[in-house]
Amino acid sequence: MAAMADQYGIFNQRADVIGGITMRTRDVHGAMVKPKLAFVSINADREHLHGYCFPMSTNQTLIEMQQLMLRYPTGKVALSGISLAIEQGGFVYLTGESGAGKSTLLRMFYGGLRPSSGQLSVQQLDMRSVAEGDVRELRQRTGIIFQDHRLLFSRTVFENVALPLRVQGWEKERLVPRVRKVLEFVGLDDRLWSYPEALSGGEQQRIAIARAMAANPPIILADEPTGNLDEDTARRVLDLLMALNQYGTTVIMATHDLHLLSSHPGRVIQLHQGSLVGDSYG
Amino acid sequence: MAEMMNGVPEHVDPRLPGGFQLPPFGIHQFLALMIVCVALWAVGTVWLGLQGAQQWIGSWQGSLQLHVYLPVEKADQMGELKAKLSTITGVDSVRHVSRSEAAIWMQGWLGDSSLNVNKFAQRLPESLELSLADERNQFLFSDIRDEAARFGATVNEDEVQLASAHELLHSIRKLAWFVTVILALAMAMIVSNTLRMILLARADEVHLMRLLGAKEWFVRMPFILEGTMLGGGAALLGWILLWPLVLGVSGWSEGMGIELSPFLLFLPLLLGGALVGTLGAVIATAKLVSPDSVEA
Repeated sequence: MAAMADQYGIFNQRADVIGGITMRTRDVHGAMVKPKLAFVSINADREHLHGYCFPMSTNQTLIEMQQLMLRYPTGKVALSGISLAIEQGGFVYLTGESGAGKSTLLRMFYGGLRPSSGQLSVQQLDMRSVAEGDVRELRQRTGIIFQDHRLLFSRTVFENVALPLRVQGWEKERLVPRVRKVLEFVGLDDRLWSYPEALSGGEQQRIAIARAMAANPPIILADEPTGNLDEDTARRVLDLLMALNQYGTTVIMATHDLHLLSSHPGRVIQLHQGSLVGDSYG
Repeated sequence: MAEMMNGVPEHVDPRLPGGFQLPPFGIHQFLALMIVCVALWAVGTVWLGLQGAQQWIGSWQGSLQLHVYLPVEKADQMGELKAKLSTITGVDSVRHVSRSEAAIWMQGWLGDSSLNVNKFAQRLPESLELSLADERNQFLFSDIRDEAARFGATVNEDEVQLASAHELLHSIRKLAWFVTVILALAMAMIVSNTLRMILLARADEVHLMRLLGAKEWFVRMPFILEGTMLGGGAALLGWILLWPLVLGVSGWSEGMGIELSPFLLFLPLLLGGALVGTLGAVIATAKLVSPDSVEA
């Protein structure tokens, strides 16, 4: 197990935490980075971490697009001429002004929208011709976090987080420990039977992260998950996403909070009026 | 905290949505249950009334009989009259009822009293009993009357009226089916409307399940199940509510020789109710569109 963890470049040293942990891992370039997890109360040795996510191989192209274009039925062109590839295990920011096409691109990654022209391949699926059944399976392998988190307020935290597992047919015997585990990861295992309305905005977004990671998807799409949060809470939410990324999960996050990049570096894909205008690491 | 083996506290009942999990029962469902129950009770009452009417006119025997009476002094024409009546279209068979048989029937009708009925029987006319194949033949009774009149015989007009009532019952049965179908459609619409409201209230949940990759059957099944349960539950309640009605009219029905049996209606009502509820649910979920469904 330790060899496997090292092979995938995940954690190579023990990090103890109470109120904050330091973990050593590699970024998308292979350089060592030190993200600080401010509030995740876990004892993050290799064995313990294994319970949250399974290590995944990196350097495989997860998403690839060539001259991608999306035109709405109204005639408005939302995206045009986008060509790029996203490797597995990367942490990618999609930035740009409102209406730049960040959310539209994310929606295309889970089959919510289909390209008008060009090519888009997500997890080896051609999104222009993919069948509905394959889109469902793709969504089961994709964690989605929304800006407004889309929690079900008539259901408990447990029921919210269990939803993707239930969709995938998990039995209650397996499902309950898994929900506990992911809630432990986001530091809310004591709120299992609370209702979301009893939680703060940051806690609600953490529940949304727990829901997105519950089924251990290889990719998490986050659409401005920090948009409604204050800076401190936003950093904490980002800590969690970084931690997930360190376990091997590819994270693609639409945001216009550029100041977060200084503390949480990653690949930055910049969109402007539906076109790709920048692709850098920062 | 006391916990069960799978880690769920005893006081918590996790309701995991989708699949074969029924949605929570709320005021909308309760109202729909009551309305459908009343409608099914009305359907049950109609068919119960039809059951009683069928028993009353004796149609449960499967055939109607008509008697033609020939005066004693013309008894020698009995064979000829019998042959003529047998040739009328719609008459299945003709049987001569002897006076001794009539006397035995009369004795029984008087409750086997000590009264000697033979003297009365001697005064009875000769009787022919006609079994009718199709009492709805519009010329049947006038043909029988005409033939009987030629021999100076008379037809039991009470039985003719009873036969007409049997014909009327056929019409009523058609009407009952019509009422049943109309009420079934109305009930399906009520269930459908209720489920539409619930679907609206739970649109976020449906949308989210689809975003998470749920199959369509998984998303729709709780609503289909709910429709089936609503219809079936309303039918059960409606059937139970038939009993006060049956008990209330029991004195009157016994006097008429009618034995009403709600048990015969149990399965048809239950299956019919469940079917109608399922139909309503299928209608409600037919266009269950989410904004992030797979778009072209």
